Amino acid sequence: MTEKTIYESMVERGLSRRDFLKLATLMTAALGLEYSQLPKVVHAMENKPRLPVIWLEFQDCAGCSEALTRSHDPYLTKLLFNDISVDYHETLFAAAGKQAEENKERVMDEYEGQFVLVVEGSIPTRDNGVYCTIGGRSAIDLLEEAASKAMAIISVGTCASFGGLPHANPNPTGAVGVHELVKDKPIIHVPGCPPIPEVITNTIAHVVLLGEIPELDALGRPKAFYGQTVHDRCPRRPFYERGQFAESYDDKGAKAGWCLYKLGCKGPTTYSACATIKWNEGVSFPVQSNHPCLGCTEPDFWDGGGFYKSLAAPPGAEAARGAQAGFASLGGAALAVGSALYARKIKQKAAEEFKAQKKKEA
Amino acid sequence: MDWLEFFRGPMFQIALLVFILGMVYRFLRIVLMGWKKDYSPPRGSAAAGVVKTYVKGLGFLPFLPPKFPGTRHRPLTYIAGGMFHLGLFVVIFLSTPHMEAWRSVLGFGWPTLPTPFIDGFAAMSMIGMIILLSNRIVSPVGRMLTGLGEWLNWIVVFLPLLSGWVLYHHLFGMPYQTIFAIHMFTVDWLLIWIPFSRISHFMTYFITRTMHGAKFGRLGVEP
Repeated sequence: MTEKTIYESMVERGLSRRDFLKLATLMTAALGLEYSQLPKVVHAMENKPRLPVIWLEFQDCAGCSEALTRSHDPYLTKLLFNDISVDYHETLFAAAGKQAEENKERVMDEYEGQFVLVVEGSIPTRDNGVYCTIGGRSAIDLLEEAASKAMAIISVGTCASFGGLPHANPNPTGAVGVHELVKDKPIIHVPGCPPIPEVITNTIAHVVLLGEIPELDALGRPKAFYGQTVHDRCPRRPFYERGQFAESYDDKGAKAGWCLYKLGCKGPTTYSACATIKWNEGVSFPVQSNHPCLGCTEPDFWDGGGFYKSLAAPPGAEAARGAQAGFASLGGAALAVGSALYARKIKQKAAEEFKAQKKKEA
Repeated sequence: MDWLEFFRGPMFQIALLVFILGMVYRFLRIVLMGWKKDYSPPRGSAAAGVVKTYVKGLGFLPFLPPKFPGTRHRPLTYIAGGMFHLGLFVVIFLSTPHMEAWRSVLGFGWPTLPTPFIDGFAAMSMIGMIILLSNRIVSPVGRMLTGLGEWLNWIVVFLPLLSGWVLYHHLFGMPYQTIFAIHMFTVDWLLIWIPFSRISHFMTYFITRTMHGAKFGRLGVEP
């Protein structure tokens, strides 16, 4: 199997060495690597054959694929579609039906142990996985087959990473993330609802180009993009420190662009590059557009107690308010009255005994 | 459900209910003990005594210079104790996240201070606590007066302050959720622990002050 390298395919398309080096430099930066890593990237692009990517979709909304097609980094997108071939993608694929499935099978067999598997969407496990089937086969079945032959798996989106929206309480389909089912392959999580397009392309490019897994955090996310919280890089952070908060969406604070912490912003607990890479060609991101961060890169963000409730407001407090607190107070009062009466009884008894004693002595 | 959600959710709920039940019990149990009727003719106003004792206890005594008679015997306890109490009050009531937590319990909020101030008061409070603990350990009398309950009190109060501090400053490279969960866990324990311990003096202080003030006022002596 002799495949062209990325460099060779670029030369074939009429690009110069200078163009290639420019792209390699951009790639190095885009992958979140230090400049000193440039030779490594150049070397990889010169020597590694193009690797196929297989993109499977299960219980999803195709929002992550939508996001991918809106990646504003033209180099990366071109690279992904021209040089790294996405050989199977249900939504973006022109072919459909049997031919598409056959192509997938062919690529999986031809590149066994070498291709990168991208998964979008969660996998339903309840009732033998009947809630998501493609071509008559269940998602679990399809995932297990593809995963067993893949080099590495990239779970794109919160659904594939942590179960996401289908996993939300009460989780009727028993939806889980990829890592719950596949244990023997390296898995990279690229959560987000959807993830930032550039984060998707860069992570795929990293694995495919360098053939290695980027540095991951405790939840399996690339540290280059999930190393800091939205709060820590938020342009509205100074307002948080100064104690200037928007109290509603149309008050003075909201108009002045103050911090949205009190309106339920989950920025402090959300690790994502939203505030730095931003969206739509770096135009904006939710907080900049005057909406609190929902925390979509975190597990169970859907069940976190409410998007518009302050992070500092414990859901337990809300639950304890009202009737429960009333009962607790009544319980405390009953205990106190009961024990006070009991103590009084003991006291009276002791007094009577004392009196009787005195009488006896007299 | 992860740890953070558990400590913020069901465990906080339980802790809060234990706290409410316990404090209502403590309050009523003390009040229902009653006190003996005073048959002597009043030599002054009981109400005035109560007012005076609060003015003195909350508005005057804490701000005396440490050389003033009555405070000079234990300047360290006086200053460190003041640092701790004032710091803790500001952190609990005047920091925005804490006010939001109060709002979720009480249903209303109030203005708060910018975070650098809170940061300073939290530091002051912790330094005060460390001085008080060192003093307790060094002084033989302090050691003798301190039982297991007091040592535990110190730990249970110090841990929420410390974990909050680590949380705010992102120390030790811990993921935010982890240290947030630890902070909530320590707060849950503090809430559960308060009714069973002398930390409940945040409430009983007011019972004592009121009763003493009334008694002294009636007797016509300075409370």
